[in-house]
Amino acid sequence: MKYFFYQLKKSPLAMVGIAIIVFWLIAAFAGPSMISFTHTEMDSMNQMVAPGEYGHVLGTDSLGRDILSRIVYGSRSILTVALLTSIFSTVVGILLGFSAGYFGGRLDTAFLRGMDILMAIPPLVLSMVILGILGDSSIASLTIIVSIAFVPATARVSRGVLLTEKSQEYVSAARIRGENHLYIMFVEILPNTMGPIIVEATARFAYSIMMVASLGFLGVGLQPPTPDWGMMVIENKPIIAQAPWAVLFPALAIASLVIAISIFSDFVSKVLIHER
Amino acid sequence: MNDNILEIENLHVRFSTFDGLFSAVNNVSLNLGYNESIGIIGESGCGKSTLAFTVMRYLATNAQVEGAIRFKGINLLENSEKEMESVRGNRIAMVFQNPYSSLNPSLTIGFQLDEVGMHHQKLSKSQARIATIEALEMMNLGDPKGIVRRYPHQVSGGIQQRICIAMALLCKPDLMILDEPTTALDVTTEAVILDSIAELRDTLKMSMIYISHDIGVINKVSENIVVMYSGEIVESGPKKQIFENPVHPYTRALINCMPRGGVVKEKTKLNTIAGYVKRRGVDEGGCPFADRCDKKNDTCISKYGTKKIGEHHYAACDRAYAEDIPDKLKVRITPIARKKDPDFDSERDLLKVEDLHKIYGNKRKVYAVNGIEFSVKPHSILGIVGESGCGKSTTGHMISGLFPPSKGRIIFGDTDISIGWNKRDKETLKNIQLIFQNPGRSLNPSHTVEKIIGRTMQKLANINNAKERREKIIDILRKVDLGKEYLEKKPRQLSGGEQQRVAIARSLSISPSLIVCDEPTSALDVSVQASVLNLLNDLQVDTHVAYLFISHDLNVINYLSDYIMVMYAGKIAEYGKRDEVMENSHHPYTEALLSAVPEVDPTKQKDIIELEGMLPDPAKKIKGCPFAGRCHKQVGEICVKEYPPMVQLTEDHYYFCHIKP
Repeated sequence: MKYFFYQLKKSPLAMVGIAIIVFWLIAAFAGPSMISFTHTEMDSMNQMVAPGEYGHVLGTDSLGRDILSRIVYGSRSILTVALLTSIFSTVVGILLGFSAGYFGGRLDTAFLRGMDILMAIPPLVLSMVILGILGDSSIASLTIIVSIAFVPATARVSRGVLLTEKSQEYVSAARIRGENHLYIMFVEILPNTMGPIIVEATARFAYSIMMVASLGFLGVGLQPPTPDWGMMVIENKPIIAQAPWAVLFPALAIASLVIAISIFSDFVSKVLIHER
Repeated sequence: MNDNILEIENLHVRFSTFDGLFSAVNNVSLNLGYNESIGIIGESGCGKSTLAFTVMRYLATNAQVEGAIRFKGINLLENSEKEMESVRGNRIAMVFQNPYSSLNPSLTIGFQLDEVGMHHQKLSKSQARIATIEALEMMNLGDPKGIVRRYPHQVSGGIQQRICIAMALLCKPDLMILDEPTTALDVTTEAVILDSIAELRDTLKMSMIYISHDIGVINKVSENIVVMYSGEIVESGPKKQIFENPVHPYTRALINCMPRGGVVKEKTKLNTIAGYVKRRGVDEGGCPFADRCDKKNDTCISKYGTKKIGEHHYAACDRAYAEDIPDKLKVRITPIARKKDPDFDSERDLLKVEDLHKIYGNKRKVYAVNGIEFSVKPHSILGIVGESGCGKSTTGHMISGLFPPSKGRIIFGDTDISIGWNKRDKETLKNIQLIFQNPGRSLNPSHTVEKIIGRTMQKLANINNAKERREKIIDILRKVDLGKEYLEKKPRQLSGGEQQRVAIARSLSISPSLIVCDEPTSALDVSVQASVLNLLNDLQVDTHVAYLFISHDLNVINYLSDYIMVMYAGKIAEYGKRDEVMENSHHPYTEALLSAVPEVDPTKQKDIIELEGMLPDPAKKIKGCPFAGRCHKQVGEICVKEYPPMVQLTEDHYYFCHIKP
């Protein structure tokens, strides 16, 4: 932890990244109560108001809804889905990847081929198809589906780090004192693989924001009235000439959060490499 | 001024890191004349390699350098990168420790060597190839024309290192720096390389800096020795003087802590140096060795500086020749009383191995162990020695149950244990313990010392009460000279020696009857090795546990073992009581191995039996004697065609050879 702050001091980029993440977290938690407009309120007198006018800091869309309020409100759902997705896909990935890598042999081959098949389908297409068939796009279903789409990647990373640790002598030492497989996998090996797995999980966090926004943009994401950044972009596309801010600000929100998390992820991996 | 090819003057190298600024090389001055050779010794972390890298200007960006390095009168530290290029690899060449990583695996050897000549001497491709082949011939490599077409992985480690040296020779440099070039190699290979290095110096008239942690190696290639400790030169002088009249306490300790030829556990307890090399801050003054020195007093910080002892002999210590403190280190021999144990000469074998085989792989078979038979007597130490790839570790791992043998039987007491760990019962697992070569890897980095030792106790000795366990752990830690404060530490916070002590404590905590020690000291520095060997020996005397001690170092084996088994290519070459094997060896391989061990005492130079060639291909089944291809005493066709018979010399001493005694 001391090293984390030492490196942080030397890296202004990482500081910017963390600042942006903190900003969005605050926005998600406290934002809605700080804004005088709600995200569904339609101000029919003030449609497509430019930023700053009539108290609408980022302007309004074609229905007169406050953009700022919608963005802030939308950060809640997107952060929830992204967080849950990265946790779920990591946990499932560890379970799958560890058992395949640890036992090896046919199980491992079956695992690898299975993951190859899943990976051959682009995650976005896969999620779109499933969501389309289900016709339900709640936070829960979105989380589960995006998690499934991400499992091949997290499982492969888990399997890879397990394989390097498995050949270490402390694993042999555990074996010849008669430990069972579960103990060796989760008490002996798991703590030593947390570094790369955490890095992968943060990267997945960024990807799932992209994914949720893309699904929203394609119209199969979260359904109205829940505001969704991707959906806001597509909703306001017809008025892009008259009210560019209505598209620009949600897009900026997506970009800033994804970039900030990517920077953070890179930084974490740099710090963790030193820890090893 | 011009008699020296290299003059290093008040050199300081500091690294700024996360933990602050620390000093790696501190006020080093050194002169090296034309056609002279100096050897630098010291433990790891003493700044030997940093010094070499500074001369080559190969330092990381966080290094700060002060002082002057004059090569033929030009200060290298003031040279630009471009000017350095014409010196580096051309006038000063360097050979690194690990040949595997200094050659590019995806380019042919010829291509890599040709580049040197083409770049520095602007030779054409064909001229460069001629120079390359000449250089390879100089290193006594047979068939250089064949070698140039090969890739690095197609030749053995010894040949790779000779290729690296040939590469350094290509431009006929004035100065060659060798940084532990033989440390990663087997003794017999090392002997051949050291011999050719010594020869080259005479023919090419070049100066040399040879870095090693082994005085024996330095003795073979240099006349002068520089001893470094914690970034400073603590003593320098001709090798004879350094050996016969070491003045600095560190030099003495270093010489005395090596188990030398003929030193055995019954007569001698090895000298140790307490503590380990610490990183030095920039502001620390005085003698760097003071905190580990048993002769220190108050003047160590104030009265510190280099003194002239004799001609060309300098030492940086005021205390060493002080008469007021008796010189403990001169007392080299402190006999240990060996408790007589009634069971010691017991007839029953503790462990018996019959016709043991291990074959790896399915399609491409690798014959690692090819039918060996031996037994371990209770309360005794059997040392297994051999070069890498001879199957000694595989044997140890099969006995400890890491994997089952492919064929043959392992009998422990009355039970057949030729099975893997997952089929062994608790009692067997408890009775046979394994200590690994690398303590850093055999202790789980995420667990505390308490958990590491405690888990073994809980699992195999059924001590489930945490409080009781803790008390026992503290007890066992005390036995390996570690205090209570280590309970909460993680392996990363310990030094290599401390880590190995924890590993030993883990094995001993459940009172096994056999411990397989797989090269437990080869990853450690000599001073730490000495303390671990002493510890293993003391514990064996106290607990009567038997050891199967695996090592490539004949001096270590000789020091610790009661019985010695020499292995070659998965077969036993010779077996016997220690003194029988060491003093009356019969197998030609044992002879060669004994002759190749570097001697610490420079006056005792012996003739080396040079072994050419490589180990036989482990993927082929050998019909005749596995050693036939390299044997200097080969008697003829019979050696290749027929497996040699066992020749029984005494009840315990036998060897496998066609030559009768």
